[in-house]
Amino acid sequence: MARSEERSCGAPGGCLIEVQGLCKRYGARVAVDGLSFTVQEGELFGLLGPNGAGKTTTMSLLSTLLAPDGGELRLCGLDVAREPARVRALIGHVPQELALYGALDARQNLAFFGRIHGLSGRRLRARMDELLGAVGLAERAAEPVEGFSGGMKRRLNLAVSLVHGPRIVFFDEPTVGVDPQSRNFIFELIERLKADGVTMIYTTHYMEEASRLCDRVAIVDQGRLLALDTPRGLVGLLGGGVVHLEAEGVESLVEAAASLPMVEDARMEGQRLVVRTRATDEAARALVALCHERAVRLTGLRVLEPNLESVFLHLTGKGLRDA
Amino acid sequence: MSAAPAPFEPPCRATAGGQILAIAWKDLLIFSKDLPAVGLVFVMPLAFVVLMSLALASQFGTVDERPLVLLAVDEDGGPAAGALLGRLDALPSFRLERSWAGKPLDRAAAERLVAAGERSLAVIIPAGLGEALAAPAAEPPRELVLVVEPTAPGQVVEPLLGTLRGLLERARAEARAPREVDALFDGLKVPALVDLGELRAQAQATLGRVLAAADRPPAVVRRASPAGMERVALPDTYQQNVPAYTLFGIFWIVVLLAESVLAERRGGTFRRLRGAPMGRAALLAGKLLPYLAINLLQVALMLGAARLLFGMSLGSSPAALLAVSLAASLAAVGLGVLVSALGRTEARARNLTILVLLVLAALGGCFIPRFVMPPAMQALGLATPHAWALEAFQDVLVRGGDLAAVAPEVGALLGFAALFFGLGVWRFRLEVDGAG
Repeated sequence: MARSEERSCGAPGGCLIEVQGLCKRYGARVAVDGLSFTVQEGELFGLLGPNGAGKTTTMSLLSTLLAPDGGELRLCGLDVAREPARVRALIGHVPQELALYGALDARQNLAFFGRIHGLSGRRLRARMDELLGAVGLAERAAEPVEGFSGGMKRRLNLAVSLVHGPRIVFFDEPTVGVDPQSRNFIFELIERLKADGVTMIYTTHYMEEASRLCDRVAIVDQGRLLALDTPRGLVGLLGGGVVHLEAEGVESLVEAAASLPMVEDARMEGQRLVVRTRATDEAARALVALCHERAVRLTGLRVLEPNLESVFLHLTGKGLRDA
Repeated sequence: MSAAPAPFEPPCRATAGGQILAIAWKDLLIFSKDLPAVGLVFVMPLAFVVLMSLALASQFGTVDERPLVLLAVDEDGGPAAGALLGRLDALPSFRLERSWAGKPLDRAAAERLVAAGERSLAVIIPAGLGEALAAPAAEPPRELVLVVEPTAPGQVVEPLLGTLRGLLERARAEARAPREVDALFDGLKVPALVDLGELRAQAQATLGRVLAAADRPPAVVRRASPAGMERVALPDTYQQNVPAYTLFGIFWIVVLLAESVLAERRGGTFRRLRGAPMGRAALLAGKLLPYLAINLLQVALMLGAARLLFGMSLGSSPAALLAVSLAASLAAVGLGVLVSALGRTEARARNLTILVLLVLAALGGCFIPRFVMPPAMQALGLATPHAWALEAFQDVLVRGGDLAAVAPEVGALLGFAALFFGLGVWRFRLEVDGAG
């Protein structure tokens, strides 16, 4: 792990979220399978994985909305299973769905959820004004939400989750289906929260978002933690990058490919040869030459520059969006 | 896991009362913006009350062709009384019951059965009726009594009273005519050669005595209420229709409540609320409170309109009226919770609700008074909250009942509320469905 986690969980400046061996099943299907990680105070922690990876279930477990089948969860030093009500007062959950009242206007939505959390009077009004300004809805605050665009609804969805000033915020794919303007509002708000020292967990299947926003990223698939590091550290796992080669009789090339000087590792994955290399262009040229030399008919060549997408592909053999 | 140090303080503290009020206020705001829902709850039942009350002001449009069941008690036991009851039983509109649970009926038993609502009407033939009918006069006249359950409408009772009067007159004529004929012939003073003019004069004098006697009948028909229910005023068309359609209206809250709950589940706001620091009880209480308030407002509006528009009496016990209204509203809201739990989608819940509400209202006597239904249907009606609530409203509005008088019905309604609510909460899963 990239950071020291020696400070005790729940202590100011220490880790605020501690997940140990977390499990959740739906019948025979295992949604979360022994997940373990910690998140430091003020850290923006990413959960990156395809649809169905267990991200939303993990968020629901962290938000006390689901009870785990195994493992332990501790937030701000509180045992989530034993003190869910106290935990709920400290957290904000930005759900994937637009959990708003369409018949009410933006201000009424904020006021309602603020009152649910115990805010009232001048304090509530000040908080609403602040958030409406932050998400760019101050001028539309008196309009019914059902008339908002998808991006505006998503911004309000975010503001509602922050109305009570939570110390920990869980973002469950907050930018799904939003326009670039709304995406920027959301990113700016998240960066402001980070500057204010709010601890956040951010799930996404967009590797660009994880790279841009997150201090550390956990890559998950089928409920399991595959890798956890800073985005730079994760990309470093690949070295220079990956080349996929598809050809008739490509199995015969594995040994020769592995012995190329710029290649770090070569192996078969299904019907394709996966080559991890420090220099993708050079490796691609060498592999094409190898095919020509061995009279192997090349049917496909793909060069993956090092990024979180290619890390995920390397770890799972499938893409983030097509998993 | 590491040992827990002192946790962070929450940024703000919420109270259950504040949360309940916040949820209730939010639902009232949403309701007030939904004009079709406002129309359904307030305008629809009011329109029904006005239209049906005016339409049925004089009589029911169509009388049920099934025979009306009457209890019959023959205290006279003579041939004239037997013939009278036989003729009544032979009419296609009526069917007489002379025994109950295998025992012959007497006056007290018949009154008890009417008072208990088992039957709506009983005919009592008094002892000595046959003799009185045969006599030239009886002072005071014998009374053939029609015991009437107080909520039985005049449209049914008045024709029955007329029928009884007609049968009684026929019986009197049958009993009296031979004696008058005998008297006529006994008193004839006819010379050897018949003087037809004299005979005509004597016959006319005899007929005059018979007709004069009809002005002082030896027996009359009297309408009566069962013992202990003498204070009763008969329900008019408004007292029948206003509570019936008010009840029909307040149960439509089931549709609104179920749709609201299911919309919150579908939209994810329930999930968001479950993630807030609030208990499930506060969430449910906040969710139900506004619908209870809307129902009470509905009842107040309907009864107030009936009072202002039709001058309908509201009885003498506001406390009893409030208790009945509250208990009926609780039953309606409880049914809303149950439907919310059974209907997985808003469309399914709406269709289920419409079906359930129409059947319950029909069985419960909102459209047709229960007493004109066959006994099996009447018994089945007791399985609906509508029947109990209607009975309780009529206890207050028609019979001047107080809290004690409506206690059984209020108890039954609270039982319905508890049953619906319990089943609904049991079936209703607030837990979120995690995935992905």
